[in-house]
Amino acid sequence: MRLFWLCSAVIWIARTWAIHASDAGIVDWHQPLVGVPLFGASSTAPKFQRVGEAKSRSLLFTATSGNVLAALDPATGAIAWRYIFEDNEHIIGFKQHGDIVAAVSGTGGATLRLLDASNGDLLAERRLHKPEFGRLFDPETSGSTIAFDSEGDVYVLSNAHVVRRIDGKTAEVKWSWSAPDQTSLVTYSKIVITPTAIYLAGLAKSFASYTLHITALSSTTGELFATGHIPSGISDGLTSFFALQDVNNAQVSPRIVWIEGGSVRYFTLTPELKGKPMGLKGAMYKSILDIGLSDYGQFVALKEDGTALVILSVPEGFRQIWEFAESATSSKYTLSHYVGGLDIDGRSYIARIYWSHAYKKAVAHIFAGHLADGRGLVSGYTFPFETSIHGVISHVALETANPEGNTIVSRLALTTSTGAIQLWQHDKPQWLREEGLADIKVAELVELPERKVITSHVGDEEESFGDRLVRQLSDAQNFPQYAVNFARRFVTGSYASVSSSVASSANASEPLARDAFGFRKVVVAATGHGKVYGIDSANGQVLWSRVFGLGWAAEIGGKVIPVKMFVTRTVNDGDAPQVVLVTQRKASNSLTDTVLFHVNALTGEDARGLSPPGDVLQGYDIIAGPIVEAYMLRSGSQKFVLLLDEFVQVHIYPDTADNKETFRRLAPSIHIPLRTGAPGERRLTGHRISSEIELTGKPVADITWSLSFPPGEDILSVTPRPAYEPVASLGKVLGNRTTLYKYLNPNLAAVVTGASQAATPKCSLYLVDGAKGTILYHVALPTWEGTCDVKVSLTENWLVYQYFDGDASSVQSTKSHRVVSVELYEGSGIDKKTRSSDLSSFSNETTALAVYEQAFIIPRGISTMTTTSTSYGITIKDIIVANENHQIQSFPRRVLDPRRPMRKPTSEEMEEWLIQYDPVVYDDPKRVLSHNYTVIGTKHVITSPALLESTSLVFAYGHDLFFTRIAPSNTFDVLSESFNKAQLVLTIAGLALAIVITKPMVRRKRLRERWYE
Amino acid sequence: MHLPLTLLALASSCYTALALDLRGRILWNELCPSLRDLGQSKVVLDNGKLQGGITRNGSFEIPDVSPGVYILSVVSHDYHFDKLRVDVFETESLPEVRPYIPGTPLSPPSPVTLPYPILLTARAKNDYFAPPQSFNLMGMFQSPMMLMMLVMGGMMLAMPYILKSMDPEALQDFNKRQARIGALQSSLQSGDLSGGLSALINPAQEESSASTGTAKQTSSSSGVKQRGGKNRRR
Repeated sequence: MRLFWLCSAVIWIARTWAIHASDAGIVDWHQPLVGVPLFGASSTAPKFQRVGEAKSRSLLFTATSGNVLAALDPATGAIAWRYIFEDNEHIIGFKQHGDIVAAVSGTGGATLRLLDASNGDLLAERRLHKPEFGRLFDPETSGSTIAFDSEGDVYVLSNAHVVRRIDGKTAEVKWSWSAPDQTSLVTYSKIVITPTAIYLAGLAKSFASYTLHITALSSTTGELFATGHIPSGISDGLTSFFALQDVNNAQVSPRIVWIEGGSVRYFTLTPELKGKPMGLKGAMYKSILDIGLSDYGQFVALKEDGTALVILSVPEGFRQIWEFAESATSSKYTLSHYVGGLDIDGRSYIARIYWSHAYKKAVAHIFAGHLADGRGLVSGYTFPFETSIHGVISHVALETANPEGNTIVSRLALTTSTGAIQLWQHDKPQWLREEGLADIKVAELVELPERKVITSHVGDEEESFGDRLVRQLSDAQNFPQYAVNFARRFVTGSYASVSSSVASSANASEPLARDAFGFRKVVVAATGHGKVYGIDSANGQVLWSRVFGLGWAAEIGGKVIPVKMFVTRTVNDGDAPQVVLVTQRKASNSLTDTVLFHVNALTGEDARGLSPPGDVLQGYDIIAGPIVEAYMLRSGSQKFVLLLDEFVQVHIYPDTADNKETFRRLAPSIHIPLRTGAPGERRLTGHRISSEIELTGKPVADITWSLSFPPGEDILSVTPRPAYEPVASLGKVLGNRTTLYKYLNPNLAAVVTGASQAATPKCSLYLVDGAKGTILYHVALPTWEGTCDVKVSLTENWLVYQYFDGDASSVQSTKSHRVVSVELYEGSGIDKKTRSSDLSSFSNETTALAVYEQAFIIPRGISTMTTTSTSYGITIKDIIVANENHQIQSFPRRVLDPRRPMRKPTSEEMEEWLIQYDPVVYDDPKRVLSHNYTVIGTKHVITSPALLESTSLVFAYGHDLFFTRIAPSNTFDVLSESFNKAQLVLTIAGLALAIVITKPMVRRKRLRERWYE
Repeated sequence: MHLPLTLLALASSCYTALALDLRGRILWNELCPSLRDLGQSKVVLDNGKLQGGITRNGSFEIPDVSPGVYILSVVSHDYHFDKLRVDVFETESLPEVRPYIPGTPLSPPSPVTLPYPILLTARAKNDYFAPPQSFNLMGMFQSPMMLMMLVMGGMMLAMPYILKSMDPEALQDFNKRQARIGALQSSLQSGDLSGGLSALINPAQEESSASTGTAKQTSSSSGVKQRGGKNRRR
């Protein structure tokens, strides 16, 4: 019986809402991203590689900030494959050889994975050392290296002192060697493979500089041949030494090259390590650059004045084979990027890329050493890189082809400072991936205006009769078309459908306008790479984008980090909607400023009118220092931004007299809980804005209360109840016609506290009244492996939190992910009313509340949680989560109702649609909003109302972008998709027919009755 | 509450030397024939701190598992796998693998033990979509509601003729029964369930003792009762 109830409940729930296969890709979209390439180290930076037996297919490999190893198709820019690494396991380096990509990840290179280079299948996974035994390096990528030998075996250096030879097919370790007793002294970072011996090169720290240390091992057994210091003094341990060999020329013995006191020195590697460091004759050098051609014996050396020389390793030493003309440092162009690349035959090319201030274009010079009868040849061209859209070039990867004679065709993959990957074939852009979108910090959905109906009549009083006739006739010429359309619509029932695409037709010249149901919005999203985008929510296309200007920090460089975004004007307020973005600008000299960017959400134009379109967006430096908190205040249609600086002074934007007046009026009702105190003893401190103006001319917030938590509990997160959320009903009517009144305290905030560093880890959740610091609800939660990881969602009177309970000690324990649903009601229970939403914050009655709570087991861990939101709050709120399966899933409110009875529900409870309590929340694939899409790395899910009350728009970001719409209580306000007009018409026709048939029958019967009465 | 956890933490730090590499493989089946279909997936213990990726041949290895009780699950986007309970011991013995139903207490463990190395098969492929609903005239008339409506309509039309052809005694009997059903329905509607039921049962008992055709009588009355209940719910 119980099973029956469960099944019926499940079926009923499952029936409520699910996407049809035909709607996939129409009502939703998914934009898979790879993330911004990690170009800081050559082991993770983008590079072109040829894969497959015939090396026919070229792929652009890169490791990215999203902790993804990806291969892009250079022809189309599509993702060939991507492999997602765990958040706690950063990619340290990868190397491709034939059909295999080897990647090391984790602290010190803890794990080695072998992947199929053409499709990303995992071939083998090998733990090299425990992550906690990994040595930390700065940067993370040093200390681990991968090398392949000709047989396809992998040599991995991990933790800077252990080297292993690993079978390239089975991932079995053939041998391993670890540096004895000098682990802390020598940091190995390079491997050189020769058929007989392998060489490890590392640096040992001496007084002012580093000394080169080399170890030679047998490549078959790992036996130590020789080890020793090489007399040298290297100042920069990261970039200024590397190994060179030539795979095409076996006579060139492998060498280590470094720069020491302005001269290039080298050491030839032999198994006995007998030899002396030699110096390169010639000029003084500033630096040497490893351009990715060290296996081909080439590198670039920069002279004191910046002139670049290409140097080739030859059997008898080194030879300068080229000097880039006009490459000395100059104010006419920026510093150059030098990068090496190969063609299909394995011949090497070197590109020099720079930005010319004179041409306002990017310039590429490609050097091919083998052309022009071996004398070398440079082919140069400019290409129109748009620096106002993409910032500056951060990294270049090169691939070349030499179809005939002396022509060089080059493909450049550029990584820009805004996080985009661009591919240029010669001077033609091929494709662009806005990978900066994988790092969206804040986003808002902005409503679009209605399509403007163009009226030709302009209240002209002196219009003659003839003119009016002409005008009205011309207006009427569209009438037949309208009438036909109307008739067609009436007959076929082809109205605007809730499951149709809302993307506008191909006509791009039309201004942005919303659809019939308000499903189409603009997603304004600001990334951590200095760019703000306007994205069409109908299909995910970028409508506009602007690069942030750095203000005064443009001279020295800096970074703009978005903090919050507010929609300060919506279409309902008339005119174009506007967005204010609050950012922190961290200049390179460690000064932090608070900068506001105020843009038109439809076009990206500067609402302050200071930066012309096509130029960088200039901000408004509102505070010379960081901010503590930012809010938006509303009074009627008036909206403005309130910022609190370090000294809790209040700044208002826009700073108009009107806004100041409104602020003065609202100030007494503003309560601001802030985190204060040193780390480890943080408190929650309530602030109120005093009416007095300080000497600085700004109002200041004063402390009104302070709430300290038990020692060892640090505030991890504060989740306030969303401001200005619509609440449709103040209570819940129960089956027995009594009412539970919702506890709707506008100052409610959920605070998660915990400490991972303490001896006994703790984890707690508090509901705090933000007006006076009263704790309304408190629960101590279990920690797992010392971490307190609680996800919280708070809306109206409903708190939902999720945690992992790993306790296995007691009889009843189940190791599982739990979600707890808590509902707060006024007073002591049923029919008790305190009017909590309008109550004075200082009334005693704010603490009078009844708590209903229930815990459930959810199928898997989640990374973020939110509730749906609709325009009037009538529709039931569902919980939307991003789970560890890379899905966006919804859980119905009904399932998470804390009042679900523990037995079979009574008829009164059934009237409330309560179903029997079941601890396990059914994992329903039909409720996976993202269906077949793999939405990785979701950090935030935001919801926004559509015009239809039944529907909520959902946008997930963090890495991939995903947008859909959801109707938690079904689309009750539109005819359902399954409604068929034919059935209705048939039924009506049938009834009419029945009337026609029976009418004479009845009339005859009546007549007969009268006669024979 | 905290003490066992601390003890566990202590124990795990003491016995790190005994940590074991948990091995197993996914058996490809018709549902999920290869890694291409499965996609990038991993096998995790508990909440995912310990994990191993599934390789192309289906094998996986979770390194350095310290002694304890774990729930093993497969994190896969499109496929559903069973969860398992894995006990790793401090001694050299092999870990014990048992089936586990989510939401049930960990102890007592299931008496069934599964072989080690762990073998897993995909149980179901997620179906994310609701089937489309389409209109079909025959289907419309095949639905029980529609059939019932047709029968009722037919009955309504035919009723006067049936009544006319019945003999007066049977007619009287029928009218009486009709009245009782009416009373039952009205009492059910007013919520007086027991009254309605007793009204139904008592005369039925009366009649069963008194007159002939007992079986027919009771069966018809029980049929009425069910319908009454159904009507109410609607």
